[in-house]
Amino acid sequence: MAHQAHAYHMVDPSPWPLTGAIAALLLTSGTAIWFHFHSLILVSAGLVLLLLTMFQWWRDIIRESTFQGHHTPPVQKGLRYGMILFITSEVFFFLGFFWAFYHSSLAPTPELGGCWPPTGVITLDPFEVPLLNTAVLLASGVTVTWAHHSIMEGERKQAIQSLTLTILLGFYFTFLQAMEYYEAPFTIADGVYGSTFFVATGFHGLHVIIGSTFLAVCLLRQVQFHFTSKHHFGFEAAAWYWHFVDVVWLFLYVSIYWWGS
Amino acid sequence: MSDTVEKKIKNYRTAPFDARFPNTNQTRNCFQNYLDFHRCNKALSAKGQDVAPCDWYHRVYKTMCPMSWVAKWDDQIEAGSFPGKI
Repeated sequence: MAHQAHAYHMVDPSPWPLTGAIAALLLTSGTAIWFHFHSLILVSAGLVLLLLTMFQWWRDIIRESTFQGHHTPPVQKGLRYGMILFITSEVFFFLGFFWAFYHSSLAPTPELGGCWPPTGVITLDPFEVPLLNTAVLLASGVTVTWAHHSIMEGERKQAIQSLTLTILLGFYFTFLQAMEYYEAPFTIADGVYGSTFFVATGFHGLHVIIGSTFLAVCLLRQVQFHFTSKHHFGFEAAAWYWHFVDVVWLFLYVSIYWWGS
Repeated sequence: MSDTVEKKIKNYRTAPFDARFPNTNQTRNCFQNYLDFHRCNKALSAKGQDVAPCDWYHRVYKTMCPMSWVAKWDDQIEAGSFPGKI
């Protein structure tokens, strides 16, 4: 019987990259069809296919790693590089929206009244809910670090508690932000102020939801004994992503909520 | 109105270089002088003084600004929807 003579993981053929690509096509074309012809069928199919792809792809990774042992140290190293590169690409994604915000706010045009915030825009008080949101995310950064140390020290119960607390804080942030969106005295249609505010904070909120979901999956895995004190990269990746989300919020808070008010 | 201001307005040929706006894009120069003219009028009339010095800003923005912008802003001021602070 032939065995691999290296420590790397040659992944078995999988249909999920194809289904993912098809989902991407359905989502993009579906959105265009929705906008022009009012039909939701393509975009819905794309969404379903995307969710199925993600679920099955990542389930397969857990099978290959936790259950079959394919994630040796060099494989894990590659995954670390991958996650770091992905987060870096997300940093650049947000950089673009910060660029847009500063472009418009540093040299406000006559149409806005030559001032920032523009004439007629009632901004949110940075020392009310936005400050609470900042505290919530910073606290969640502490709890996720507590969870990491608990995992490394083999403290199962504490790991579950701190991870749960982190997720609850994430939900609390999302809830507070949703309330803010509902109550805000301005909308996305209110000039460049509305556009920059809601696109930047909106994408951030989406990333909070993604991060919370990632942490929730880690919680389920922790409960099911997937993580060891020495090997728990899935959790580390989630924690890195969560810290990234927190840092983006800090920049948003200082730039848009505080300086921009 | 002081002698120097009166002389400057009398000898006006075109808008002079304004170091506050050194770059090619002079939009802000136009807008600032438009604002300053209206602010000058408002401030001097409130104190019951002669608004003749304000004519300097009037000359500069008339030189600088596209007529369509001035027309639009004048309409906005009349309608009460001008976004600038006067």
